[in-house]
Amino acid sequence: MVAGKEGREYYRSIGFKCGLEIHQRLLTKTKLFCPCDASLDSGWPIAKIYRRQKAVVGELGKMDLATEFESSKRRMFIYSAFRNTSCMVDVDEEPPHAVNSEALEIALLIASAFDAEVPDEIEPMRKEVVDGSDPSAFQRTMEIGFNGHIDVGGRKISIPFISLEEESAGIQESTQEFVVYDVSRLGIPLIEIDTLPEIETPEEAKEAAYRIGLLLRLTGKVQRGIGTIRQDVNISIAGGARVELKGFQELDIMDKVIRNEIERQLKLIEIKKQLEERKAKVHEPVDVTALFSSTRSKIISENSKGGKVLGIRLEGFKGLIGTEINPNRRLGTEISEYARLAGVRGIIHSDEDLDSYGFSTEEIGALKKTLAIGEKDGFMLIAGKAGIVEDAARFAEIRARLAISEVPKETRVVDSKTLTTRFLRPLPGKERMYPETDIKPILVDRKYYLSLKHMAPDIEREREKLAKEIGNKQLADQLLGSQSMTLYRKILSETGADPVTIASFILEKMKELRRGGIDVDRLSDELLVYIFKLFKEGKITRNGIYEIAKRLPKDKESVDSIIESEKLRRLSDSELLSIVRPLAKLGKEKIIREVMSKYRLNVDGDSLIAIIDKVVG
Amino acid sequence: MYSKNVEDVFKSKSIKTGDIIKVKAAVGSFEGMLMPRSELGDGDIIVLKLDNGYNIGIRFGEGASIEKIRDGPMPAAASMPSGSSHNPNLPKVALIYTGGTIGSKIDYATGGVYMLTKPEELMAEVPELAGIANIEIRHLMSMASEDMGSAEWKAIAAEVFKAASEGARGIVVTIGTDTMHYASAALSFMLKDLRIPVILTGAQRSSDRGSSDAFTNLICAVQLAAKSEIGEVGICMHANSSDNYCSFIRGTKARKMHTSSRDAFRPINSKPLARVYPEGNIEYYSQYRKVADIGDAKPILGFEDKVALIKTHPNLDPNVLDYYVNEGYKGIILEGTGLGHVPTFTSDPKRSWLEHVKNAISKGVVVGMTSQCIYGRVNTNVYRTLRLLSAAGVVYCEDMTPETAYVKLGFLLANYPGKAGEMLNKNMVGEINEKTEIDWLV
Repeated sequence: MVAGKEGREYYRSIGFKCGLEIHQRLLTKTKLFCPCDASLDSGWPIAKIYRRQKAVVGELGKMDLATEFESSKRRMFIYSAFRNTSCMVDVDEEPPHAVNSEALEIALLIASAFDAEVPDEIEPMRKEVVDGSDPSAFQRTMEIGFNGHIDVGGRKISIPFISLEEESAGIQESTQEFVVYDVSRLGIPLIEIDTLPEIETPEEAKEAAYRIGLLLRLTGKVQRGIGTIRQDVNISIAGGARVELKGFQELDIMDKVIRNEIERQLKLIEIKKQLEERKAKVHEPVDVTALFSSTRSKIISENSKGGKVLGIRLEGFKGLIGTEINPNRRLGTEISEYARLAGVRGIIHSDEDLDSYGFSTEEIGALKKTLAIGEKDGFMLIAGKAGIVEDAARFAEIRARLAISEVPKETRVVDSKTLTTRFLRPLPGKERMYPETDIKPILVDRKYYLSLKHMAPDIEREREKLAKEIGNKQLADQLLGSQSMTLYRKILSETGADPVTIASFILEKMKELRRGGIDVDRLSDELLVYIFKLFKEGKITRNGIYEIAKRLPKDKESVDSIIESEKLRRLSDSELLSIVRPLAKLGKEKIIREVMSKYRLNVDGDSLIAIIDKVVG
Repeated sequence: MYSKNVEDVFKSKSIKTGDIIKVKAAVGSFEGMLMPRSELGDGDIIVLKLDNGYNIGIRFGEGASIEKIRDGPMPAAASMPSGSSHNPNLPKVALIYTGGTIGSKIDYATGGVYMLTKPEELMAEVPELAGIANIEIRHLMSMASEDMGSAEWKAIAAEVFKAASEGARGIVVTIGTDTMHYASAALSFMLKDLRIPVILTGAQRSSDRGSSDAFTNLICAVQLAAKSEIGEVGICMHANSSDNYCSFIRGTKARKMHTSSRDAFRPINSKPLARVYPEGNIEYYSQYRKVADIGDAKPILGFEDKVALIKTHPNLDPNVLDYYVNEGYKGIILEGTGLGHVPTFTSDPKRSWLEHVKNAISKGVVVGMTSQCIYGRVNTNVYRTLRLLSAAGVVYCEDMTPETAYVKLGFLLANYPGKAGEMLNKNMVGEINEKTEIDWLV
């Protein structure tokens, strides 16, 4: 891994370029183009719809590699539809309704928060989608902002593009023959925020992603929780290629993953140089099924049952297929991932320990002879069903040839455990976009947009306000960076309870409960507001809040009955006074110990001290 | 359309749609391809397609300027499949193209939807067809179905007959869906002696979308034309929202029952004739007329246009009927309520239709009765009103849909003078079933 101590100079020297694409779901009652519930609260599935989609030829009259890979799968798409969260619009059986004005207002507020300009008229578009994740085979999207920016550590990072679009359907199950999508997520309003590739270091990428996410959350109008924000990173280095990294579950690992990606590209460039020097060449696949008719290699015999085995000579590749390019990843791993797209389990290559696969020396000898393997050559073997194995060999060939000519442009998925990435699909070419003629363009009222400036959040202003409110800078910063700002604001504004109690409950107590295996996130915001209202009214104590939350009440009634059954009612001042008075002569500290040992859940420390001070004087 | 102000600037700089231009305006400065402006909307907003693929609208207001960067790219010539290969083992199927959503395509640059003028483009999108039949494309017209009338039905019937005489085993007609069931009824009567599969099909989603139903519909229609034993006219469209199979519905028993869904066409008072899968298997569900040689069959192309279909409703003034009679109409199909009623014993006697109906019949107008319930059969006995109307000479059209009854009456009046009233409620081509089965209401 690149060590991480390198400064801007180093990254400049390798031609590092990095930009972000942030997708965030908005918090609206309904979806973007239909009146369906946007909450993901699906209820019962009511239909399963089976569709085939046709790959359409791209703008330049030919399919790009990404489209070709997808269409080679010829998969059936199955859409699960639900009563609350889907309707005929979602399954492409009814034209879209007018754009959700709540979503549009939030999108404009966000544009304003990033100091962006907005068009005089917003033009809804269709962006073609080939993986089935939208039943209409396109995603509706519209550019709503441009020329924005965000400050990151004193540097201005440009935001040239902000769009409002539909969320795609979520995958429930995926096989070689079909993909099942859940359409409840489809059509939830999503905002996309892109930066220019002006980010100079991996750390800056992480910081920029954090600041963008923070500003979005500060609007209080975005969904929170897992999957509601997606941060994709585009990076390239000189001599390498643009690669899109997807699937960051947490920001913390972003810089490390980027450094690994730099390392991967550097190694691939090195391999490419060597292959060029060796005048390497990838040969056509040869059917070598007959050589393995009585093989003891399980991986071959199982996968070639009723199918075939193809061998490919990799002239000049010896030793390089097995070169490590990332921890535990080799060029062979990359080739294997391409082949897998066609539906095989992987490839076997000559830099591996072939004995461990169970091959006999005779088999390998015969294979080398058939493929005419020379001293500096490598080979790969692919086994599988006829019809699939040919595609797999073709994809593997494509990847092997790319190793000689370039670092491939790819979309890659982050593995949070290893901090490396794996190949997902070739980077799609320019998506084909055309106007969404079923929706009227939307005129933007400039006066209205300018008036949003006053409502748009500002990170520094918010930080100061929060620190003042909580009186604890660290807690304030922690809260600001967390996903829970919206919840904090909601509880505070609806109950007027003490800010520190709210903040420390959300940040510390809830974390503690989670660690204890209690799924405290199941408590609805409304219920938390109710509990804090009881606290504010003096009916329960701080410890009481914790005790109630621990028991995961379903509704207000169960909160009340927990208070009853667990004896969580807060003692009134007069009750407390009658308890403290007989103990007066014990002295302050002993009184506290005595009372708290009996009434820990019914007394708040600060009110006890106030009473004691009154009694003891 | 752009405002005169904007158009003038375009003209002075010889800018046309598709050119790359630069617009400087209050919100910023943009370079992109000039898009056309629809008839509606603010004419001072200039729509540009930016390099990122998105369109945006910029107001050409005070202080704004436009500059031409360069001419737009020449539209690429559509690539045509080179001469379709003929397979002597496959049957010959004629594909008559008339327009509609199945034949409409988007211009990806401008976003305008236009009718394909070259049906070969559609064929190129569905290469599977070449493995089912030798397709002979006949480009008859490019029309939206709401604009079609009897002249077009006659032209289609004549073309179908011509294709059949020239050796087509079956015929597929691609047509707009809105009035497809009128057209299928018309062809059913006009081609009543032609015993080959005549399959009407279309699309609810245009074929430029990857999700279009056109592909499955077209493949299933060609399968039917190439293989089915049904020598009738019918409609082949999605049976449900999935792309698994299509229903083939008798031409006189079909109706569009949904504005937008793929499975909008339903059999009314019947079962589908068959279910057909894209892979080619056909499951038969109803009695049908078997295919046979043309023999001496001829199309019967007469159609009387002076026929009207009137939907009655509470409060409808009976003078509406007099209007048609005075205009010289020869036939009226009433879409009555329930079992076949029109307002009769109204509190205001002037609102009763009975005398007006009698007057029409006395002047030689054939009056037929169907039901706006769509499903079920009309009846002449259950209520007094029914008995009176029937006694007055209204022809109760059994279980025919209003649309089929309308088409049939136009056909009869032109081709069987003096016999139309008598023939209207007698079955000719499967438009009337004697028996109503239990599970037909869907």
